[in-house]
Amino acid sequence: MTDPAAERFAQSMLAELPLVEAPESVWRGIEARLDAGERPRPAPVFRWPRWAFAIAAIFAIVAAIFWRASQRGWIDTGHSSQTIAIGQIGTVTIAPGTRLRVVADRPEEHRLALQHGEIHARITAPPRLFFVDTASGTAIDLGCEYTLTADDRGAGELHVTRGWVAFVWQGRESLTPAGAMVRTRPVSGPGIPYFEDASSELKRAVDGRLDVNAALGAARPRDTLTLWHLLQRVSDTDRAPVYDRIATLAPLPASIDREKVLRLDPEALKLLKEELAWTW
Amino acid sequence: MMRSILAFLAFAAFANAQAFSFRIGAPVASQDFQFKSAAFVFRTEGCAGVEKLKITAAAVGRVNGERRSMDLHVAASSSHPGVFAVAQQWPQEGNWVVSLKGECGDKIAGAIVPLNRQGFIRESAKFFSRAAKDSEIDAALKDLAKKEEPK
Repeated sequence: MTDPAAERFAQSMLAELPLVEAPESVWRGIEARLDAGERPRPAPVFRWPRWAFAIAAIFAIVAAIFWRASQRGWIDTGHSSQTIAIGQIGTVTIAPGTRLRVVADRPEEHRLALQHGEIHARITAPPRLFFVDTASGTAIDLGCEYTLTADDRGAGELHVTRGWVAFVWQGRESLTPAGAMVRTRPVSGPGIPYFEDASSELKRAVDGRLDVNAALGAARPRDTLTLWHLLQRVSDTDRAPVYDRIATLAPLPASIDREKVLRLDPEALKLLKEELAWTW
Repeated sequence: MMRSILAFLAFAAFANAQAFSFRIGAPVASQDFQFKSAAFVFRTEGCAGVEKLKITAAAVGRVNGERRSMDLHVAASSSHPGVFAVAQQWPQEGNWVVSLKGECGDKIAGAIVPLNRQGFIRESAKFFSRAAKDSEIDAALKDLAKKEEPK
């Protein structure tokens, strides 16, 4: 919208300005160039080279492919459950409200990533072929059937109903056999496993803030599963009472070297685990 | 006289230390993934030389009041000599126990392992330095039926 007052001012100024003609030499110069066939040259304009457009297009296509790939393979069950085959080695039933992705589907490795929700795996294969990654660690199938839940932060639970499962995170491992469970936490990975029929005192002693004395007092022979894991989670000072409690609950053969176990010698711990497993 | 008594006591101690017996466990005890679905696994103790070992197993049960029995296949672990597994070969219905008998040279061991839907019942298992008697097996079945009665 123009300002009427400003327009009237401009017109009055124009009326006051004298008309001036261009000098004759300017007109003669223009006529001479027109006779010579010159065309007026446009002002220079910056042009992108063609190869830059080609590269930009390639980048866009590659970015689109990667984005599509990242979205592919996600399974969101919504309100219903779904069962998927894991190659030829078993099945996984995915509960409603679960989001997971197939990361690998090869004969030598079947791997899922569970973002949140619950799955029930039933695997009939040699161990270490089926893996489930969560934010707080990886469940390694050692021949089994289990239920695994996780939330987006990685907090969850592993319940084993058949066989046994190793849950690993940054070098920390929990071995959970049938009838036992373990909680997983986002920052600290797998907790200490215990049998589902363990006393509430034992569960409280290892699930929250660790209470070694309470755990030792509440343990049954079968709970040497929990105490074996406790050996590797307590300070040097607390380790001897844990070992001694294990030895009271499950008499150990002479082949188990107490001092080596207290030093967390891997071979000694393995021998101890294999012996204690007969009480689990 | 005193020397004879001491020799006898030493021999008895030695014999007890080497008693031939069964030890039962959950599949995880076998450390063998092939046995992950077994009803239970077991090993023998006090038998020097697995090649001398002879194991037999039978499932004995009561189904609708009728006593039934069947010989069982016992699988030997290829990765852990001396460890064996018993898979469920008996029907789901009824109450069942597994009777194990082991022979190691002239030594004999027996065991009765009661089972339910969750697996073997460790606390109720019985062990003998001989084969289990039929009366002991029947007693175990009766106990099992009482425990499994709906409350």
